[in-house]
Amino acid sequence: MKFYPYKRLNRPVTLRVTSVSLKLSDGTRDQLETTAYSTQQQAVALGIAGHTDWVSATVGLSVTLPPGANAPDAAWSDLCVLAVLTDGETNVRTSANLTLDVEGGRDWSGSLEVFRDDHLGRASLAVYAVGTVDGVRGRSIAETDRNWVIDAVSDEPVHGLRLNVQKASFRKSAREWLQVYADAPWVVDTSARVPTVFVNTDVEGIIDLLDSSGSGVDSKVRDLLVAQMATDVWTAVFHGAIGDLEVDPAGGPVFPTDWQGEVLREMLPDVIPGVHVEEALRQVHRRRTGDSGWTELQTRIHYAAVRRADASKALAFVIRGLEQMNRESET
Amino acid sequence: MITQPNHVPERLGLLVTSAVDPFLTEELLKGEQVHGGIDLAKVVEPLPEDDARWWVEPIRSLVEDAMFEFREDRTLADAWLAPRLHATLRLTRREAADKRLWNHLALAVAPDYVVWRHLSESTANRPERRVAAERFRGPADRQCFSRLWWAAELFRNGSDYEPVELACGNQDLIHTVLRSELIDHRPTAQALVRLLKSGQVSGGREVNGLSVAINAAGATLIYDVLAPDRPRDPTRLRDWIAEAESAPPVQRYELPDGPDEDPVPEESVAALAGYFAELFETAPVRGRKSGD
Repeated sequence: MKFYPYKRLNRPVTLRVTSVSLKLSDGTRDQLETTAYSTQQQAVALGIAGHTDWVSATVGLSVTLPPGANAPDAAWSDLCVLAVLTDGETNVRTSANLTLDVEGGRDWSGSLEVFRDDHLGRASLAVYAVGTVDGVRGRSIAETDRNWVIDAVSDEPVHGLRLNVQKASFRKSAREWLQVYADAPWVVDTSARVPTVFVNTDVEGIIDLLDSSGSGVDSKVRDLLVAQMATDVWTAVFHGAIGDLEVDPAGGPVFPTDWQGEVLREMLPDVIPGVHVEEALRQVHRRRTGDSGWTELQTRIHYAAVRRADASKALAFVIRGLEQMNRESET
Repeated sequence: MITQPNHVPERLGLLVTSAVDPFLTEELLKGEQVHGGIDLAKVVEPLPEDDARWWVEPIRSLVEDAMFEFREDRTLADAWLAPRLHATLRLTRREAADKRLWNHLALAVAPDYVVWRHLSESTANRPERRVAAERFRGPADRQCFSRLWWAAELFRNGSDYEPVELACGNQDLIHTVLRSELIDHRPTAQALVRLLKSGQVSGGREVNGLSVAINAAGATLIYDVLAPDRPRDPTRLRDWIAEAESAPPVQRYELPDGPDEDPVPEESVAALAGYFAELFETAPVRGRKSGD
């Protein structure tokens, strides 16, 4: 619980994306389908129409402030609403002022320009209601509780970070560094721009298995295999991120600004439950750099990775599938 | 101290971080011996051939000039090289966020510069001189060349690189502030430089104390409202990048010009500089007694 030394609204601002259009390099515009964004996922996928030559995207926004924002006896004045897009990879911060729809109402709308040259992958969109409180300008009185993700390349609006799966013959790959792993079915690379699994096509049948679809046991085994890879990835990502933590001038660890920070924020509640993620990060950092407690934490890190990879669900489906198969062969 | 590899590529390329380790040898980190360059070239992904920006020679000649000019005090090279590297290697932020480019620059093009600039001094505790591996492949605010490029990008005021020179002349500022998100807001970055220039803030502890105070106040204040920035026109940067084809080498004695973008509104810088100065008076700074 944060403490604020002034009056605020205690409910969050709600944000919806209402339209997305791309400006292409030949000057034309492409209005994207509504499948480019998802309110449930709180994500926008700018790569959905397959354009690689777009210059900028205009994202239409509609915002509703919590009740009380426009109360006549409110503790604030000069109310304004600001959409802020930030990107930890490119250090971009873009803000747009929204306008009030109807005098006396709580709905605001406007649009945000997103430049292609400014983003490599995922940027984060938040909305702030700002006013003058007790004579202090620029006070944030309410904000969105969960940021939207604006993904410059993705073709599907999903909030969580997806693994990048690449197939390669390790023995013959142009990526020479893969050759030393020729006898492994897959390896994990967490130093790439997004966490990547390289699947070794030299392992006979592995691609058929991974590409299998339908309802047979094959596809359930595939899901289990993917869950196993994902568990490996999230464990590796967690260790990588914790190992590279930056420390602020006061000596406390700082969340990485890229996707590693995103993953840490998602996994930490399972690693150190019951505390704020900032505190969880401090505890984990202390355990790793201090005298004791790092070994004991491994089980929890593994647990968090298993949860994030949905491994239990995949295993349950495989077991059910095998049971069914056995039953059918008996009858 | 090492020299450049026997084989230096003619053009910049992309070197994935997972392929870096075999070349980041103990000998290189100690500054004793560098790889030959031939084997490394095999794992590099090429960049488009029709783009003049990827020629290595202008960058090679810049770092050689820096090593000569600042042979007496290598930390001074940062303030000189940052704006000139930025004006030579004209990138969009999307391109600059690709770590593979910086890996290639440090490992294949100028490992001798990385060693020259970042080989640690011998101390009683650590007598062995060494370069931290993150100076070759590491976070954007640590890697030898990307930290300079980003410092130039975040501290330039439109086309004016003078604030970059000032910011990079203060090792503490680029060491601690570069990693923090607060300077992603252009008026905040310019206000910080202004306090540095006027002498209201100096030294590592003061810079640290101020950035902690700005961050703390930023938890409840939205600086974009206190100090608005103007919308950017992306075509200005595109034009500047296109001019790379015909641009002469950057000036060595005068500061070059950056992309022709609008400067931060003066009212916004002035408002924030005033506000930060007030914050700083009450900020706890290690080693400073209250009431000083």
